[in-house]
Amino acid sequence: MKHEDVICPFCGCLCDDIEVTVENGHISDVKNACGISRSKFLNHGANRIASPMIDGKEATLEEAVKEAGCILSAARRPLVYGLSSTECGAIGKAVEIAEATGGALDNTSSVCHGPTILALQQVGESKATLGEIRNRADLVIFWGSNPTEAHIRHIARYSAMPKGMYVPEGRKGRKIIVVDIRDTGTSKLADQFIKVQPNRDFELLQALRASVRGQSLKVSEVAGVPIEQVVDLANQMKEARFGVVFFGLGLTQSDGRHMNIDAAVGLVAELNRHTKFLLTPMRGHYNVGGANTVTTWQTGYPYAVDFSRGYPRYNPGEYTSVDLLAGGEADAALVIASDPVSNFPADAARHLAKIPVVTLEQKTTPTTMVSRVVIPVATAGLEAEGTAYRMDGVPIRLRKLFEPPPGVRSDEEVLTMILGELKGGSGQ
Amino acid sequence: MKQVKVTLVSGRTMRQGIGLEEGKQSEGYLQSVRTVMLCPEDASALGLAEGQPVKVSTGNGMVVVHWASDKSLGKGMAFFPYGPWANQVYASSTDGTGMPILKGIDAAITPAEGERVLSLSEIVESLKGDL
Repeated sequence: MKHEDVICPFCGCLCDDIEVTVENGHISDVKNACGISRSKFLNHGANRIASPMIDGKEATLEEAVKEAGCILSAARRPLVYGLSSTECGAIGKAVEIAEATGGALDNTSSVCHGPTILALQQVGESKATLGEIRNRADLVIFWGSNPTEAHIRHIARYSAMPKGMYVPEGRKGRKIIVVDIRDTGTSKLADQFIKVQPNRDFELLQALRASVRGQSLKVSEVAGVPIEQVVDLANQMKEARFGVVFFGLGLTQSDGRHMNIDAAVGLVAELNRHTKFLLTPMRGHYNVGGANTVTTWQTGYPYAVDFSRGYPRYNPGEYTSVDLLAGGEADAALVIASDPVSNFPADAARHLAKIPVVTLEQKTTPTTMVSRVVIPVATAGLEAEGTAYRMDGVPIRLRKLFEPPPGVRSDEEVLTMILGELKGGSGQ
Repeated sequence: MKQVKVTLVSGRTMRQGIGLEEGKQSEGYLQSVRTVMLCPEDASALGLAEGQPVKVSTGNGMVVVHWASDKSLGKGMAFFPYGPWANQVYASSTDGTGMPILKGIDAAITPAEGERVLSLSEIVESLKGDL
């Protein structure tokens, strides 16, 4: 059976035009997908965790849920983490579990665009949907982001190539500029590449801001960029009809972190005195936007939430996962749809390997390898439906294309069972 | 011993993304994340032979990995895909932001003759303190 307009649940682009052919419960063909998406669909059944596990031994789902409940109940400082590669219903249940256990709740944005959120909370945001950008943008700047490796169809679908209502020439009607510390696949596609020195984006952003404001900088270069090029870029930005900066972890994971984004927002605010200009983060996991959104609905805060006093408190740097783990504070963890052992600095991963961990996952990962309880779950967007938020904040409904393996439930169903266990063992 | 000082940058690659969907024990994923990319000049300065491992050292740790040449990198810059091997050299300090620094880190690359690249299970066991 052929399914059309399937949503790809991999990156924040949430491409919605995938064609998937399913035969006997397995995907036999995929069209319109990028390399990573194709791998996701075609390998969905490969290397799946065969059964719930407790201490490396096979267990029933009920036994695993009961053990998860025991671990989380006994913990004084449990951490609920992950959530960016599952759908919003599961995220809502995870928030309830964090509240029920008096634990900390965090999602993967704390190690990707957490600094973006910190800055935007301070200074606001100028944004639009990707559809608006596709139809209007004539200047597209990728700053510290490389969609040719991480958001592969972004360029073709949303930002550089497509013909839009007010950009009928498509690529020829848009100017593409890349600012990065190294040549990338994206810089090779660009009309202009500006190489900034590592850890000096803040300076370049502030120099651009000053230049847009009309101030003359009495220096020959800023962050390795000749001043003539800085002034020229500022002028190109001012002269654009509709400009957008798509920025990535090149700004959030280097020196300056949230202050880099603060400077970028300041630049964009300045540009809006002259023309229409936007700033959009390139969100990585397909529903990291949903993790922030649902957590905000239910607690008031997007990540780094603590329930130890019975009500939510917010403090990135204290209630964020790397800090809670590296400081030895968390004494148990519930990990959903994430692999922190592969993605956290070794000190944090080392602590995770020493405390009891419950992980909901499809395939074996370094995190499942250190977990006391592992529960296999259905893949949202293939074996379970739900909602995900695209990188521009647009919610998109994921479809269920076929049944998960026998006995395997969705993240939301398993989390509902764990919550029931915590609330008295009814499983409801 | 020969050594080059580099600025270490982490990030995603398409190969890593394809590999992780095959499974994190798949050869495609493992090969993509246990290889540090060096510019041809730095690799040449180290006198590296093909297949010879290198040691990546920072103020926070060191790890032995494979290397590959990447012409797009400038001299003095190395690219290390996110993953269990790269994590060995990053600090967990977030300076009150929640975010560790994963890009733009001072590092040294040296030949690691006679040493071997740990397997994924060995990395995981080392985290548990069993190695």
